[in-house]
Amino acid sequence: MVSIDLLLNAVVAGILIGGFYAAVSLGISVVFGLLDIANIAHPLFVITGSYFTFYLNSNFGLDPILVGLILMPLFFVIGNIVYQSYYHFFEKQGAEPLRGLVFFFGVLFLIEVSIIITFGVDYQLVEAAYLGESLNLGIVNVSYRLFIPFLVGVLLTTGLHFFFAKTFYGRAIMGVSQDSLALSLMGADPVRIKSVAFGIGIATASMAGALLVMILPIEPALGREYIGRVFAVAVLGGLGSVKGALFAAIILGIAESLTATYFGAAWSSGVSFGFLLLVLAVRPAGLFGR
Amino acid sequence: MSQPLLEVQQVFKNFGGFAALSGVNIYVNPGERLGLIGPNGSGKTTMINCISGLLTPEKGKIIFEGNDITQMTPHHRARAGIMRTFQIPKPFNSMTVVENLCIPLEYAAEHKTSLSVAEEEARKILTLIGIEALGDLKPTGLTQVDMRKMELARSLAGRPKLLILDEVMAGLSGSEVDEILEILFKLNEQGITIIMIEHVMRAVLGFSKRISVLNTGLNIAEGTPDEILNNPEVEKVYLGE
Repeated sequence: MVSIDLLLNAVVAGILIGGFYAAVSLGISVVFGLLDIANIAHPLFVITGSYFTFYLNSNFGLDPILVGLILMPLFFVIGNIVYQSYYHFFEKQGAEPLRGLVFFFGVLFLIEVSIIITFGVDYQLVEAAYLGESLNLGIVNVSYRLFIPFLVGVLLTTGLHFFFAKTFYGRAIMGVSQDSLALSLMGADPVRIKSVAFGIGIATASMAGALLVMILPIEPALGREYIGRVFAVAVLGGLGSVKGALFAAIILGIAESLTATYFGAAWSSGVSFGFLLLVLAVRPAGLFGR
Repeated sequence: MSQPLLEVQQVFKNFGGFAALSGVNIYVNPGERLGLIGPNGSGKTTMINCISGLLTPEKGKIIFEGNDITQMTPHHRARAGIMRTFQIPKPFNSMTVVENLCIPLEYAAEHKTSLSVAEEEARKILTLIGIEALGDLKPTGLTQVDMRKMELARSLAGRPKLLILDEVMAGLSGSEVDEILEILFKLNEQGITIIMIEHVMRAVLGFSKRISVLNTGLNIAEGTPDEILNNPEVEKVYLGE
């Protein structure tokens, strides 16, 4: 007999963790989904955000969410610089995407090693008064440690969704993803537009990093565990669809949570990828594909 | 005589061993209607790709309003006032027709206003072209003729001084061709200089003040539509000897 309590709690935990997965995957949705750049280093940018958050939280007692927010402009600039170098050395030369992938592999290891040298390999965690508390809703128990990242993840996704739909820059980014030559004939500089889009993608990583370190203790190699998951979310949601990424992330979160509850945590990533394959077989463009 | 709006001087463009343009000269005066014709493979599309900046010629110069734009990027040329349409319309399919027009309004025309003002401006342009009813539709559902009109409207949204039309009439019926011609005459009266590349002879002969003929990457004739019709060289190229 399946216990309703257990089932409900697993589903709610899955939804909550899904909101967080969305925040981690947004950058991939934008950069890989819209700009066709396979930035496999993205999770490492997220981890960098986590370490910055950890550092500012443990030394100055700053709230993790606040740190994530303050760091967004800095991460935006970093994203700009990374894209400009990628453009200069690869895209402009007409290099094959595979060589770009090698570039981002390099970036990935560079970041990981820098983190190890700076912070060491020990697990780190942040503190905030509300993190230990939880909200009791009858049989369902909602911990703030998961609920706040969920809320912020949903807000971030919604904000980005409206940015793409309702601003000139957002529309130009959608345009560059469909036809960058046509866009340049409309008077917009595709390199600048892509640079802004890449910057936005990386800026989401600072917030995602802050959320990550609120949920779990972090260590430098943790980023690698997310590489598969973020691409899965971006592909499942439909490349380039921010809204799709949120839905996909929640579906994946629920699938993982149910598997972990009933079959053991070891199975959870297997189930999420199995699920991904199943969806792609039926709907290759993803849930909200362009 | 006043300075031409656009001057293409001795332009060469090769694709590997194939010489697409071998020293082509073209000019167009402010407010003029120039027709550019020639058989398939004569270099017409390569020529306008060089003018709009999608290709850079190996040799020669392109002068717009007295400035050398040969090395300028496509988006700077669009901002300078050169807009073009494509043989096969290339709208942004994820956006509505109005949203498609907002992009050149913001960037090429440097309209720099709020989105709602730009959308209003876009609707005015659609009204001018006669497709105001299509504003909120996605381009994927449009008919061929509406798609062409949208492509035209989108070029106009860039506030061009020079509008280059790459076979806008292809595949349209007789009455549809007349409809588009009427719009183009109206635009020209408003002061927009137009270069028309066209296979539909009735359209290009009726529209152009002057016609330039290309064949195998070379200028072979130039003159009024009547002169071109009676040019034995042109007849030879089109009909064979």
